[in-house]
Amino acid sequence: MAEIFLDILRETWANYASAARAFLPRILAMLSIVLVGWLLALLLGFLTRKVLGWIRVERLSERTGTSELLKRADLPPANHLAGTVVFWLVFVGFLLSGLDALGFQGVEGLFSDFVRFIPRLIVGVFILLAGLLVANFAWRACLLAGVNAHLSGSRLLAGGVRILIMVLAAAMALDQIGIARGVVLTAFAMSFGAVMLAVAIAFGIAGAGLARRLVEDQLAGKEKKPPSDGMSHL
Amino acid sequence: MESLLSDDLLRQLMAAGQVDVVVGVPTLNNASTVGAVVHEVHLAFTGPFKRDRTVLINFDAGSEDNTPDLVRRASLVESETLVAPEAFRTVHRISSPYHGRPGKGGTLRALFAAAELLDAKAVALFDPDVTSLRADWVARLVRPVYRDGFDYVAPAFTRHPTEGPLVTQLARPLVRAAYGHRMLEPLSSEFACSLRFASHCLAQDVWSSPFLSYGVDIWLATTALAGGFRCGEAVLGPRVQAPSAERPGLPELFRQVVGALFTCLEMHQSYWLGREGSQPLARLSDGPLWNPEGTALDPAPLTESFRSGIRDLRPVLERILEADTLAEAERVAAVEGSAPDFGDALWTQTLTQFAAAHHREVMHRDHLIRALVPLYLGRTAAFLSENAGREAAAVEERLEALNLEFEKHKPQFVRRWKAEQGS
Repeated sequence: MAEIFLDILRETWANYASAARAFLPRILAMLSIVLVGWLLALLLGFLTRKVLGWIRVERLSERTGTSELLKRADLPPANHLAGTVVFWLVFVGFLLSGLDALGFQGVEGLFSDFVRFIPRLIVGVFILLAGLLVANFAWRACLLAGVNAHLSGSRLLAGGVRILIMVLAAAMALDQIGIARGVVLTAFAMSFGAVMLAVAIAFGIAGAGLARRLVEDQLAGKEKKPPSDGMSHL
Repeated sequence: MESLLSDDLLRQLMAAGQVDVVVGVPTLNNASTVGAVVHEVHLAFTGPFKRDRTVLINFDAGSEDNTPDLVRRASLVESETLVAPEAFRTVHRISSPYHGRPGKGGTLRALFAAAELLDAKAVALFDPDVTSLRADWVARLVRPVYRDGFDYVAPAFTRHPTEGPLVTQLARPLVRAAYGHRMLEPLSSEFACSLRFASHCLAQDVWSSPFLSYGVDIWLATTALAGGFRCGEAVLGPRVQAPSAERPGLPELFRQVVGALFTCLEMHQSYWLGREGSQPLARLSDGPLWNPEGTALDPAPLTESFRSGIRDLRPVLERILEADTLAEAERVAAVEGSAPDFGDALWTQTLTQFAAAHHREVMHRDHLIRALVPLYLGRTAAFLSENAGREAAAVEERLEALNLEFEKHKPQFVRRWKAEQGS
């Protein structure tokens, strides 16, 4: 009886030692992949920051108002942020590749899935960034036009335009990345429709007279004169 | 160069041959006023310039109100009576449609090209909607070029010192402090110049720049100053312009004028950054420079625009103005009263910081210039309120004090400009 127990124990330990001997190199391979990935990610992140610094992306970001948005969101400057994004993309890629090297069932497809996801992620980030830039530009243009036309509520109007464009860009970016696509599209369509309906009802009730005058002036071919302060500035 | 001119215009110019004086009148739907302008130019041709070879060239940008026909038919005969003596030379009158780049810049380029082709000694330009234009304006502007060797003659208009604040509060002091020349009307449409200056302008690589379509007047004036040309100014009298529905409102006018002025500072920085002080321009004709009769204007709407602008535009202004300047402007806006206490020092700081921010391109340049409008209105309200009821001479002294403040501030402006250039 004791002999049988010892045989089973010996066989189990032999199997375990054999599995460990087979698995240990995989762990070492994973660690080496992660280490190389970490170093490469550091290098690429550093290079990204430097190259963007050389081509003065910070100035462009300042000019377009992105710097201000990043500052408000407590994020680092644009070139540092891009460097950090590149670092994490590369590092996570290598980390998943390392996990793949372990040969566990269920994780073997992670790396290829991630590689397929990266282009969509990049396009999504670009859509979001472009949306932020357009939103900021439109906000400033609306605000300045409203203030110089002596419109009350210029800030509200400009803020509304900015939020609308940012929400649209965020919805497009999430759709591109493929995260909760159905939920995002439904939520966006509902909110956008609700806002437009509210604006239409508000304008229809409160601004019916104005709308009538605008249409009548348009049909009568009357020219709209810019607001004048009664003085000749030249 | 000839490609700037249409075949038809070339034929007309060749028929005119060599001339001494070329006067350009660009038009676009100016039927109500162009006849009188052409008439006055012809009075000058048949009077002070009767011994000279003269030509009037009208470039029409597509009028739909018969303007070119009115130019061609503009007669020297009034009520069957000849009001001007016949010129000893043939007076040519050419009207040509203009199909080049839209805007005044393209028209002026074509005029200079025509002047080169005609080997003219003097070129002048007049707006078709100035109802106060008289024949002696042509003589006063053109004669110093034609007879005395001046390269660029700018007009000096008779006006009350509270009139034309875009000139007196902004363009005049900034041009004087930067370029070091006391030009009274740097934004004027009217001028006369030599062929040498016209050829110099034609050779510049700027004609495709969009800003020249609306900012060619200030570009010409500052190019003459920066190019070391012999400049002078002639007092012409009051300038009265016919009202026009096509004239832009203040924000657009401001964008055009101030945008062009800031762009000129950018283009000529190698000239003006090292200059100090200022010199008066040669005064080439006598006459009163200011009108004692001013129009009483209410500063209250301007003040309201300033206050709401400062309140609403804070996120934009804080990217343009330095913190202490913005804080001071906000303090001024917060004080109750009919007009803000927007003094010379604050206005000088504000305008030069905007110019430096435009140079550094901290945001879209059109946005930056539009953000200056409420501050300009605040400054104008302050100036009008402070000088309401004062004698013209006393107001003129206040304008001189503003000009001197800009000159005093120039080293700081230059430091700011250069510092931001390096950043």
